[in-house]
Amino acid sequence: MAGEGTERRRAELLGRIESSVGAEARVASDGTAWISVPKEDVESCLAVAKREGFDHCSAISVTDWPEEGAFEVTYHLWSYRGKVLLTVTTRIDREEATVASAIPLWGPSAGIHERELHELFGVTFTGNPDLAPLFLEGWDGPPPFRKDFDWRAYVRDTFYKEDDPRERSYWD
Amino acid sequence: MSEVTGTETMREGHRAADGFDLYFGPVHPGSGNFGVKLRVDGERIVGARADPGYLHRGFEKLMEYRTPMQNAVLSDRLCILESLNWNLVHAEAVDRLRGTDVPERARYIRVILAELSRIQSHIIWYGVLSKALGFDTGFKVAFGYRDYVLDVFEFVTGGRVYPAGYLCPGGVRRDLPEGAKKRIEDLLAKMETMLREFEAYDSKTIAARCRGIGVLTLDDALRLGATGPVLRASGLAVDVRRDAPYEVYDELDFEIPTRQEGDAFARSIVRQREIEQSIRIVRQALDRLPPGPLPPVRPKVAAKIPEGEVYVRNEIARGEAAVYMRSVGENRPYRCKIRGPDLLHMIPVLEHLLVGAEVADIPAIYWSLNICPADMDR
Amino acid sequence: MHTHIHHLPQEGAHLASQATKLKVLIKAIWVLNWFNSCGFAELVPMVGSRWDMERFGMIITGTPRHADVLFIAGYQTFKSLERAKRIYEQMAEPRVVLALGSCTMSGGMYWDSYNTVKRLSDHLPITMYIPGCPPRPEAVFEACAKIFQHVKEM
Repeated sequence: MAGEGTERRRAELLGRIESSVGAEARVASDGTAWISVPKEDVESCLAVAKREGFDHCSAISVTDWPEEGAFEVTYHLWSYRGKVLLTVTTRIDREEATVASAIPLWGPSAGIHERELHELFGVTFTGNPDLAPLFLEGWDGPPPFRKDFDWRAYVRDTFYKEDDPRERSYWD
Repeated sequence: MSEVTGTETMREGHRAADGFDLYFGPVHPGSGNFGVKLRVDGERIVGARADPGYLHRGFEKLMEYRTPMQNAVLSDRLCILESLNWNLVHAEAVDRLRGTDVPERARYIRVILAELSRIQSHIIWYGVLSKALGFDTGFKVAFGYRDYVLDVFEFVTGGRVYPAGYLCPGGVRRDLPEGAKKRIEDLLAKMETMLREFEAYDSKTIAARCRGIGVLTLDDALRLGATGPVLRASGLAVDVRRDAPYEVYDELDFEIPTRQEGDAFARSIVRQREIEQSIRIVRQALDRLPPGPLPPVRPKVAAKIPEGEVYVRNEIARGEAAVYMRSVGENRPYRCKIRGPDLLHMIPVLEHLLVGAEVADIPAIYWSLNICPADMDR
Repeated sequence: MHTHIHHLPQEGAHLASQATKLKVLIKAIWVLNWFNSCGFAELVPMVGSRWDMERFGMIITGTPRHADVLFIAGYQTFKSLERAKRIYEQMAEPRVVLALGSCTMSGGMYWDSYNTVKRLSDHLPITMYIPGCPPRPEAVFEACAKIFQHVKEM
């Protein structure tokens, strides 16, 4: 896949980020890099990445770990010049689910992901001026993508009729 | 970061002295299933706020309840306008987690179908853009040619628009049927004829209505998250197929059409040139296609996805598509985040381009972005 | 799923002759598309020359006031359903609602989604369902032939 020159440049780039951030980056077999930092270091880590050429915020995502009482926030960054994918991950508390917004670094391209995640997971990105609902109108249920909201049970109880022979199977 | 945009004005509920609100969509021949709230002052748009969500199914969470093969079939439905391209991103994510060695013939077939899907998607774009600009012939011609591509899809995958997860984890569901190579070659010849027709129309119709409209500077494109043809028309020559090659793209020769003007016309030219490049890629892939036979993929419902996480990026017709898949070792993904190009193109980019534009230019701007509400809402 | 392909000229002749038998048809059927979701995708080719719905007198109109037939194509979310209902209310009688796609019948591929409508008939009176995911143009034509029949009986 990647040539030697690309691998060397990637290693140098990641090395610089690692020393600025004080954490090690793991490089997967497909060449993508992954670095994990505590929540309080996320802002500075992302700023370092941006400075080092990660000018494209491809996506921001949240993964729900209810048994660990945490949300994992992942920032998937791409450097057009360096041609490296770097994912910065951090864990935040599930009850006090806040993390600093990445808008100061990537503008609306980060802000729109944060707005979606706020609606679907209930994570607050402090400093994002627009966390208004994105997709749902009049939804008063829990943040729908959380793991403790079981869709199959919800859908069965809300939409299907147990005494309708064609829908009985949803209860079996 | 304190620029005042029309969007901010809309959010804070300020009212221009003699402006009024206009709602563009969602039942509008020009908008499809998406709406934009506009604040208008005379003929000029001073505020724009996208109104998404008409198609929100919660796709990402639906995938958590399904096995990889079920998700392969579901992945068709991320965007019906380029379903094979979405099949591919999902299939690659699972393949990478499983460390699957996809057979070379399957990888070539994947590229052939993905490129045909790109061509087909750009044809749709050309057709609806023409219709929106009042050029009905372009619409009819484009959709006429598109049916030839759909016939090939039906021949290979069984479905005209939904291929039932033909590009699946492990490779492709089954080998190309006999005669496929000839049919695809014939199709490519038709596509070239079509391009010549499009070129004949350009100077008269599309150019006149698209030049200088909806200009997106490179700085704005990057800040607002534009990718794909939208970014390339604003001057940055990047393409996932070349910068982070997947399948067999690193073995094939193709150019990255790019323009500098960043207007609707530039985006139009970029996409037409991309059809040319896709034809070129498919021809090379057919030439280099390793011989068969290729056994069909036989998935087992209980087959687990090893624990791990991947972020896979592909270049689909509309731009950068990516899947972040996290597995905890079950036979279903634990989390599957889908990154489509259109969340960015339909909200930050579109709102930015509409502010300052004239109402009459809305169709040209809107359709020059080639957006798909399905992949925005998911 | 049934995928045999009709030969267009024959199919056209069959439907055209059926149409001429409908002497009470004083007005061509005008269709309002509620282009909601994937189910609509095979409606677009019907406007083109290969499938050509216009030879049966069907055209797409942008306003509910001119429409006889409301195509609800594909799954509805609760947000889009509100708009669909409003469109239905704005249509003048006699009006026909055609529900396109499996999603309108049973929830279809998104049967377990928290945000999609599972039984469209709970919310709107449906005249006819066209199954499929998405329904092929031929299936839509067969349904349209049945509308002509329905209109004749209205």
